[in-house]
Amino acid sequence: MLKTLGNRLQKLFTKDRDTEGPSLDTAAVEELQLTFKTRYYSFRQLLTANTKTLESMAEIEKALQGFEPFSFSFVQKACGTVSINVFSMIQHMENIAPGKYSALRESFASIQSRIDTLLRQKKELSDRRLVIPLEAITSDMTDVVGGKMANLGDVKNRLQMRVPGGFVITAAAHELFMNTDGLQKEVDRLFQVAGSDLDRNLDLVSSQIRQLILSADVPEPIYNAVIAAYEKLKQQHGGQEVRLAVRSSAHGEDSENSSFAGQYRSELNVNFAQFFHFFKQILASKYSPQAIAYKINKGFRDEDIAMCVGCLAMVDAVAGGVVYTRNPLDRRDDNIYINSTWGLPKAVVDGDTLCDLFVVARDEALTIVREEIYDKAFQVICYEEDGCIRTETDADTAKLPSLTEGQIRELADAALQIEDYYESPQDIEWAICSDGTIYFLQSRPLQQMEASLPTDELNLDRFAASLLTDIGINASPGTASGRIFKVSKKVDILQFPEGAVLVVEQALPTWAPLVARAAAVISERGGFAGHLANVAREFGVPAIFGVTSAMDMAENGELVTVSADLKRVYLGSIAPLLEWKRPELTPMKGSPIYELLQQASRHIIPLNLIDPESRDFQPQNCTTFHDITRFIHEKSVVEMFNFGKDHHFSERSSKQLHYKVPMNWWILNLDDGFVHEVQGKYVRLEDIASIPMLAFWEGFVAIPWDGPPAMDGGGMTTILFRSTMNTALVTGSQSKYADRNYFMISKNFCTLSSRLGYHFSTMEAMVSERAVENYLGFKFKGGAADYERCLGRLHFIQEILERYGFRASINGDNLDARLEGRRMEYMLERLKILGYLTLHTRQLDMIMGNNAHVKYYMKKLTDDIDQILVGQHTCAV
Amino acid sequence: MEKQTKFKILLVDDEEIFREATARQLRVRGFTVLTADSGETALDLVRTDPPEVVLLDQEMPGMHGSDTFIAIKEIDPLIEVIMLTGNTSVENALELMKLGTFDYLMKPVNIDELLYKVEDAHARKQLNERKQQRDSNSRPDKDSLP
Repeated sequence: MLKTLGNRLQKLFTKDRDTEGPSLDTAAVEELQLTFKTRYYSFRQLLTANTKTLESMAEIEKALQGFEPFSFSFVQKACGTVSINVFSMIQHMENIAPGKYSALRESFASIQSRIDTLLRQKKELSDRRLVIPLEAITSDMTDVVGGKMANLGDVKNRLQMRVPGGFVITAAAHELFMNTDGLQKEVDRLFQVAGSDLDRNLDLVSSQIRQLILSADVPEPIYNAVIAAYEKLKQQHGGQEVRLAVRSSAHGEDSENSSFAGQYRSELNVNFAQFFHFFKQILASKYSPQAIAYKINKGFRDEDIAMCVGCLAMVDAVAGGVVYTRNPLDRRDDNIYINSTWGLPKAVVDGDTLCDLFVVARDEALTIVREEIYDKAFQVICYEEDGCIRTETDADTAKLPSLTEGQIRELADAALQIEDYYESPQDIEWAICSDGTIYFLQSRPLQQMEASLPTDELNLDRFAASLLTDIGINASPGTASGRIFKVSKKVDILQFPEGAVLVVEQALPTWAPLVARAAAVISERGGFAGHLANVAREFGVPAIFGVTSAMDMAENGELVTVSADLKRVYLGSIAPLLEWKRPELTPMKGSPIYELLQQASRHIIPLNLIDPESRDFQPQNCTTFHDITRFIHEKSVVEMFNFGKDHHFSERSSKQLHYKVPMNWWILNLDDGFVHEVQGKYVRLEDIASIPMLAFWEGFVAIPWDGPPAMDGGGMTTILFRSTMNTALVTGSQSKYADRNYFMISKNFCTLSSRLGYHFSTMEAMVSERAVENYLGFKFKGGAADYERCLGRLHFIQEILERYGFRASINGDNLDARLEGRRMEYMLERLKILGYLTLHTRQLDMIMGNNAHVKYYMKKLTDDIDQILVGQHTCAV
Repeated sequence: MEKQTKFKILLVDDEEIFREATARQLRVRGFTVLTADSGETALDLVRTDPPEVVLLDQEMPGMHGSDTFIAIKEIDPLIEVIMLTGNTSVENALELMKLGTFDYLMKPVNIDELLYKVEDAHARKQLNERKQQRDSNSRPDKDSLP
């Protein structure tokens, strides 16, 4: 389209030049306007899709902090929203520059297919056996027998500790059970019907599903396999009937970050005659209301949880309990905690009664450092027939320690071996039978909490004197300390010290390379969804954005403490804050849904294409959706404003601006840039509806130009020399440099190509109420003085622009400045500045060799601009 | 948000509460709103009282949103369709976008976002109409906006 447009314009204006006469017919103007509108429309849509993409990425990153529960449908929705909007950006980009960036589609398809593969993933079972004896089970069989029984298999078979005999009814059996007679499909249907109302209908849905399972028949292959396994167990017990402890061992259960403790059902002392009834009860407990809710909050997909069932020979315990190999409430306490009571350990696990506590040091002698013996008035024991009963303990026995010193040390020693084996703190259930033999029934990872300090205990008031700011948003959590280093220009990047606190006015992607080297980031502006916030979170660097006084609150080199969690910055190093680590309440971390999102996010979030100037900034190098959005955003701006580049307009194709007198400025209306149809060759200011053009013009005429600065001999010599060598530089000559100043406008859009004296500048603006679409671009080139002075003027203008919030860079003898995403009022003020600078930097290159003059003009120009911004200026004629 | 251009919108959704609440919000802002509770009813309205923009639920009993979209485009390719969905399949969404769906909005819908989308969809329709008019005056082979 760009080429077509260029051709059309060339044709129009070539014809005009050739004939020196009128030219653009109505159809051609209409065609031009239509082309502009098409491109303008696509550009706006593209910007909106870009914003939505970044917002969704921010949601994903927030979810990946792991503090809040999210479901599989969140993962689908978040990834889907990103995909749809990135695709939309590609479509609009193709509309703006057809065929130019076709490699984007290939990059998109490749990334999308990797995400699709992840989201469609369904685990295939590695073992199709329906029942497996405990002696054949090890911890690498989690997907076959569930975490609980896999762990116990290791304790029995690898650690060679005493574990009752038994077998496991496997995940394959669960799958067979649920796939028989369409049971799983009906369960899925009930969940689908409940949809987003599941929370409100939890009890009803749970009850319906459990009833379905309880009324289903056990498939014959499972039935036969269980009978065979039980017969083998009987043989191990001398052919006697064996009572069973029947326990859930679901996927995800007893894993590091999700114990599912108490969510599923277990039955003790089961008579085999009733076994299949209890087996179905345990399968159904996967859908208890609390288990469904827990599953959602912990990030499990229903289809990822197979309910395996462990069957162990029942231990008729005289005492039992739980060993914690460390203090669950304080990571720093490494003593062994043994909780014990009379009878079955169930009483301890259920929190049913007071139980004894024995604390054992981790020294060689396993010293018992604390004993707390309670009145254990009740205990749970096996019924003679089947089942268990809660019964009163004999009054004398109740107050006695439930373990001997020898048993305490034996338990502690075994617990340490188990912890060593798993290389993590463990929560171990045990039972002692009447002959004193200790059996281990379960071992699972122990969840430990950081001993946390609540905010009010921190007593923040005592640091009030050091408080620099308490406004802003937490863009990336954490607390850190470092020395302030303000960055406003690209050259500052080179000087950024490792471990400093990066302070910027705007959270631009330009600063991304600094984040990994920074202790923390503070920005006056920027949102949670921005690139820099993404990068800060990716590197785990604390960041506060929206600190309006950031650039002024402290001097470079001053030491500060940044607490993003508190959204506060303090002067100096505040040790209590730096010591304060947040408790790791990250229930989602490590869950299957979390892992899934994390894997998918690797194709979405990382930003590899950072530098648009780099040769690698190519569509085929986009390996994530973030890369694609970054690439398109950068290129779309260039393509959009190329519309007015290098095209020259005749008087006939445009209107001459009449501002008090006819001016040397021409205006081409691309769409709705005029208030009404304008007849004749002139257009007056009051006829113009273009918001950005009017603002620019206000700045342009705000303060009269003093005329050319006084030149030294060198400056004058250069002009004479350059004019002689290049006739194009002589004002009034019929060359391409002598073209007039042209605005191309619509109501919210404006480009300007201007030549004043010996310099050329272009201004590009899109300004409306939709801040996300707002954009200003300014390019400045040329001059009559020598190269050094021209460059001096570019640096002079760059300094002013950066002072007023522009990003400006110089490449060769080109100055390129930008500003985007700010509110309309702000953009219009900046347009006034551009208008002012376009006039008042005229011929300033001539004085660039004289420091005193440079200082004088710097002060004058910035004083003038400040006046314009507060509205105290006179209007030039 | 004050809007000057008001045009006709067809809102298609089987969920009555959502349909009526959204229609009310759009009417308050000056749009003419037709409603339909199924794809079949929507197609009747498109034939008899064509709207400028259609808001179309993806998951409906009977005629599915995707089929309804295709049928609307067959009747009038210039009508812009915004899909509404609770839990979309990305594959399906991308496919429909290639076929010319204006956009996808996830329920619950933010009314301001919906208004922007409706306005933008209308702008695209006007552009495509102008192009069609231009092409009928000159040559017939121009594509409409994606």
